[in-house]
Amino acid sequence: MSQSQSSTARQRVPNGLKYFLPVVAGKAVRGLAKLRGGGSAFPGYVTTKLAPHFLRDVTSQFRYGIVYVLGSNGKSTTTHMLTEVLRWHGLKVFTNPSGANLPQGIASSILGESSVLGRLDADIGVLEVDEAFALEFAAVVPPSTVLVLNTQVDQLYRFYETERVADMMLDTAQQASLHVVTNREDPYLSKIARRYSDGDETTAPDITYFGASREVIASAPHGLFNATDYRDATVAPESHHALAELVATDRAGAKIIVDGTPVDVTLPAKGLHYAIDAAAALATAAVILGDRFDGASSAAAFAAMKPAYGRGELLDFRNRDGVNEQVEFVMFKNAASLQLNLDALPEPPQQVLLAIDEGTPDISWIYDIDFAALDHVDVITGAKAWQIALRLEHEGIAIGAVEPDLKKAIDIMRALARPSTGLKTWIVNYEIMMLARKQIGFLELENQR
Amino acid sequence: MSDLTIVQLYPDELGVAGDRGNVMALTARLTHAGHSVTVVAHEVGSKLPTDVDLVIVGNGPLSAMRNIHADLLANGDRLRALRASGVSVFAYGSGAELLSHSITLIDGTSLEGLGILPFCVTRISTRAVGYVIVGSPFGQIVGFEDNASRWTLDTGAKPLGILDAGSGNGEGSIEGVLDTGTVGTVASGTIAIGTQVGGPVLPLNPLITDAIIASIGKRRGFTVVRSELNESLEHYATRAREVIIAHAKHVFSRI
Ligand SMILES: [Zn+2]
Repeated sequence: MSQSQSSTARQRVPNGLKYFLPVVAGKAVRGLAKLRGGGSAFPGYVTTKLAPHFLRDVTSQFRYGIVYVLGSNGKSTTTHMLTEVLRWHGLKVFTNPSGANLPQGIASSILGESSVLGRLDADIGVLEVDEAFALEFAAVVPPSTVLVLNTQVDQLYRFYETERVADMMLDTAQQASLHVVTNREDPYLSKIARRYSDGDETTAPDITYFGASREVIASAPHGLFNATDYRDATVAPESHHALAELVATDRAGAKIIVDGTPVDVTLPAKGLHYAIDAAAALATAAVILGDRFDGASSAAAFAAMKPAYGRGELLDFRNRDGVNEQVEFVMFKNAASLQLNLDALPEPPQQVLLAIDEGTPDISWIYDIDFAALDHVDVITGAKAWQIALRLEHEGIAIGAVEPDLKKAIDIMRALARPSTGLKTWIVNYEIMMLARKQIGFLELENQR
Repeated sequence: MSDLTIVQLYPDELGVAGDRGNVMALTARLTHAGHSVTVVAHEVGSKLPTDVDLVIVGNGPLSAMRNIHADLLANGDRLRALRASGVSVFAYGSGAELLSHSITLIDGTSLEGLGILPFCVTRISTRAVGYVIVGSPFGQIVGFEDNASRWTLDTGAKPLGILDAGSGNGEGSIEGVLDTGTVGTVASGTIAIGTQVGGPVLPLNPLITDAIIASIGKRRGFTVVRSELNESLEHYATRAREVIIAHAKHVFSRI
C-alpha cells in the first residue's frame, strides 16, 4: 500500500549526474541477470564497484533514516510488520525483498528503486540484514536505528558459536546513530547497556526494549528458546522496562502494551515468536515516530497484513478426488522456530507432512525438539526424511510413510481423505516450502513486501 | 537384566548438538534388552553418583566450557577413578576435548582437561563442516562433523577409526580416539570413545551404540542381545546412513 508521501524528504539531493553511468550500467546488468533467470545480487555489486558512495548517498536522503532488522529468527516477519506499521502512519517506506538480506542483494534492490540520478523516493528504509554482514554493511549504509530481535542457537556451521553471532549483532547495534531497540528477554541482547560507560538509556544511541510479561513467558511450554549467555555470571536476561510488552496471546492475535496504551494486533500466524516480533515492530515504530505513533493505526496495519510465505499462509489444494482442501504451511529455519511453531499448534493436526532437505545441513538439533504436539506424522519427506523418521521413532510418534521424493510425498498427501478440518499441515524448512508451493501450483517467487 | 546408571555431564551447557539423541539411543536399546536405565544429569554443584555404568558428555560453545570448567576439575579425581574402575565413557565434541589432556585455544591460552582420553586439542581457524564417514573396528560410522579443532593423539593411542570422507581429527586420515582400557593402568577391556562425529552419532550408528552397551556389559556381566523392538530404529538408521553415504561421497571423496 502506498500512502501520502513526504516532500520534506529530499532536502539533500546529491549531485545525481555522477550516478548516471553506474546506475544505467547496474540496471543493464540487472536486466541481463533477469533474462538469464539469475539472482538479483550481481547488479548491486556492479553499481557499488562503479560508485562506492552511491548507496550511502541514496539512503542518506531518507528523512527518518535507515532501520536495520537483525536477529537469529524473525527478520523477514518483523521487517514486514514494521514496514506496514510505518506505512499506515503515512510514511513512504523502502524495504528490501524478503530474504534478500546480504549486502549485494540490498544494494541490488536499492538500485532497482533508484532513479538514474541516484534518488529514491522514500521517507525511511527498513532493511532486513544478515547478521554476519551487518557490521560491514553499516560502514556503507549507516543505520539510524538498529532493531535486534533475538539470539538463538542457529547455523553453528556458519557462526561457530552463538556468542559470536550475538557479538556481531551487538557491535552492529552500536553503529546506530539514534536508536537501538532490542529484546529484554534475550540473555545476550538485554545486556547491551553494559557496553556504554554510563550503562543506561542516557546513551546515544538511546536503548529501548521490547518484551513479554512474566505470565506470557511462563505459559509457553518451552519459553522463548533464546540462547543462554554462558559467558556471563548471570546467564539469564537482565531486567528492564519494556516500551512494548506482550501481555496476552490468543489464537487470532496478541495484546501489546505500548508506552501504557494497549494495542490489539492480529498476527500472520499462531505462535509466541510472531507475537514477540509484533512487540519488536511496535517498539521500533514508537521510538522512530515519537508523538506521531498511533495505536489505532498500528492495529489497522496488522489487521490488513497478508501472511508472508510459509508463516500461517493457507493455500488451496485439490485432493485426488477433486475435493478442495487447504494446505497450512508451517515454516521453520532452526530449532527455535520449529519448537515455537509446534508449541503454537492448538491441537495435534489431523494430517501432517514433515520435511527437511539439505538446505538445513546439520539437523542434529531435532533431538532437542519436543515433538509432543504431534500425535502422528502422515508423510516425512525431503533429503533428510530418514533421519527425521529415526528421530520420531525414538519418541514413539507414529509414522505413516517415509518418502524422500517431495513430489511423491505430495501425492500421498493428495490421496488422504479430506480431514474434518479441511486442513493439511505441512511443517517444512524454507527450501522445501518453496519447492512444495511450485508443486501445488503456486508459482510466484517470494519477494513482495 | 540390570539396573544401569548413565551420568550425563552438564547437559544444559554441553548438550547443544542434539546430544540428547545419544542418550536416547542408548536408553532405547538398553530398555529394549530388558535393562532399566536411570539417566543422571550432572550439573555444576551437584554430586556425582558413585555407582555409574557410563559417563556421557556432549558438545557446547567455549563459553559453556569455561562455565563448567571449575566444577569439572573439582570432579576430576572422581571421574578418573570411575574410568580406572572400568566405567565406559562416550564423549562428543567439546565434551570429549575437556576429557583430553588440554585444549590450546586460538588466542594461545589453554584449558586444562581431565586426561581421561589420550589426546591433546588445538583449536584452529578453519572449520570442518559436512558429512563424515569413518571405518572403525565396530563397523562403519557415519554422521555430521562441525568443528574447528585438531586432535593430536598420544603416542600409541588408537583413533576411533580411519576416515573415508570428512576431516576427522584434522591430522592424519583418522577420526576420534578409542581407549580400550589397555592404556596405562586400566586393564578392564571396557571402552572410552572420544569423537567429533555428530548427527547425533549413536542413533545413526547402532553398531557403536551396541559396542558401548557391550562395554558396559563387560563390567556388569551381560551381553548384547538382539531385540525385535529395535527393528524400526534399525530400518530408519540404515536408510538414513545410505543417504548420508551417497551425499558424503558426492560432496567430498578421499578415494
Ligand atoms: Zn493423519
